[in-house]
Amino acid sequence: MAHPTQLGFQDAASPVMEELLHFHDHALMIVLLISTLVLYIITAMVSTKLTNKYILDSQEIEIVWTILPAVILVLIALPSLRILYLMDEINDPHLTIKAMGHQWYWSYEYTDYENLGFDSYMVPTQDLAPGQFRLLETDHRMVVPMESPVRVLVSAEDVLHSWAVPSLGVKMDAVPGRLNQAAFIASRPGVFYGQCSEICGANHSFMPIVVEAVPLEHFENWSSLMLEDA
Amino acid sequence: MEMLHLTAGRVAGLLSRRGVAVFSTSGVKMASHGGVTEQTDMSVPLYCDRLDTPLPDRPYKDTLSAADKSLKQKEKGPWNSLSKEEKLALYRIMFNETYAEMKKPTGEWKTVLGGIFFFIGFTGLVVLWQRYYVYPPHPRTLDDEWQAMQVKRMLDMRVNPVEGFSAKWDYEKGQWK
Repeated sequence: MAHPTQLGFQDAASPVMEELLHFHDHALMIVLLISTLVLYIITAMVSTKLTNKYILDSQEIEIVWTILPAVILVLIALPSLRILYLMDEINDPHLTIKAMGHQWYWSYEYTDYENLGFDSYMVPTQDLAPGQFRLLETDHRMVVPMESPVRVLVSAEDVLHSWAVPSLGVKMDAVPGRLNQAAFIASRPGVFYGQCSEICGANHSFMPIVVEAVPLEHFENWSSLMLEDA
Repeated sequence: MEMLHLTAGRVAGLLSRRGVAVFSTSGVKMASHGGVTEQTDMSVPLYCDRLDTPLPDRPYKDTLSAADKSLKQKEKGPWNSLSKEEKLALYRIMFNETYAEMKKPTGEWKTVLGGIFFFIGFTGLVVLWQRYYVYPPHPRTLDDEWQAMQVKRMLDMRVNPVEGFSAKWDYEKGQWK
């Protein structure tokens, strides 16, 4: 989760998110350099003592400031496309979970081996235990085994929603009547929070997502317990 | 084409006509082009006082008095014989303002900055009133006690342990790094 007043990304919990973090650093550095240059040029033009400011022809600089931006754009595009194709690679998930968006909660179905399904509602503020996070906690978490490729099939039962967990680098729209696939590997154990990312009605801000990545044995214990409770 | 320096006085002047129109019984003609307006003929050489145009298209004084005409005649001879006053007079025939006069500071920035601070201050008052009269009470999760419990829980959960939140906590010593 983000701490209060946090401006940057959360720490990556999946390899794809790590790549995205580094790409963002790269792109932001380019943006910073260009902005500094433009700001310098503006101040120089405003404060000049020269009176002759309206030269009307100069082929050399025109060539430079056409070629150079094209080069910069290529330098941004290449890493970007690399990550795009990385995200789209054929993977071999160990586990498939269906995340269904409803108004206004998520439901998760683990149907690979047994029929496990449960709803995940936000914990209302007045019911929070001391120290819990307001508007982020849910009654049931989506538990996944860590360091295993997981496939999430995202869909919706009523209106558009979007299943997003920033620290895993995942955001996938939940479209009624459509299955969207998102894949991730949780590289470290932990609890990762996200919020519905497509406007879906009155309680759109109050249907969070909590993913808990645990070692495999813990995951197996949890799923057995959940099946007994059902 | 002249620079319109937006001072507080001018703003008041611009708005006063509208104000008069509201209160007067006879309607004041509100269209700003009620009659034939003066238009500049752009097809003839024009004079301008501009920093980036040292030599305007025509001299400032078009019609010369008799004294000016005789001065122009004297200008055709050697310039050493011209006195300082005559040189200045010739300059003023050619140009309206000197570069120093054109570059003179106007003080417009004081009006602009003053206006900005005034409206920021007014906004601040509105915000203060809002916080007191409009906003509902804080949720209990914003209390110091709850925030402290939350921080402890975030550290226990190892939230952002790589470079972020928990990375700044020294777990051995039990204090922030």
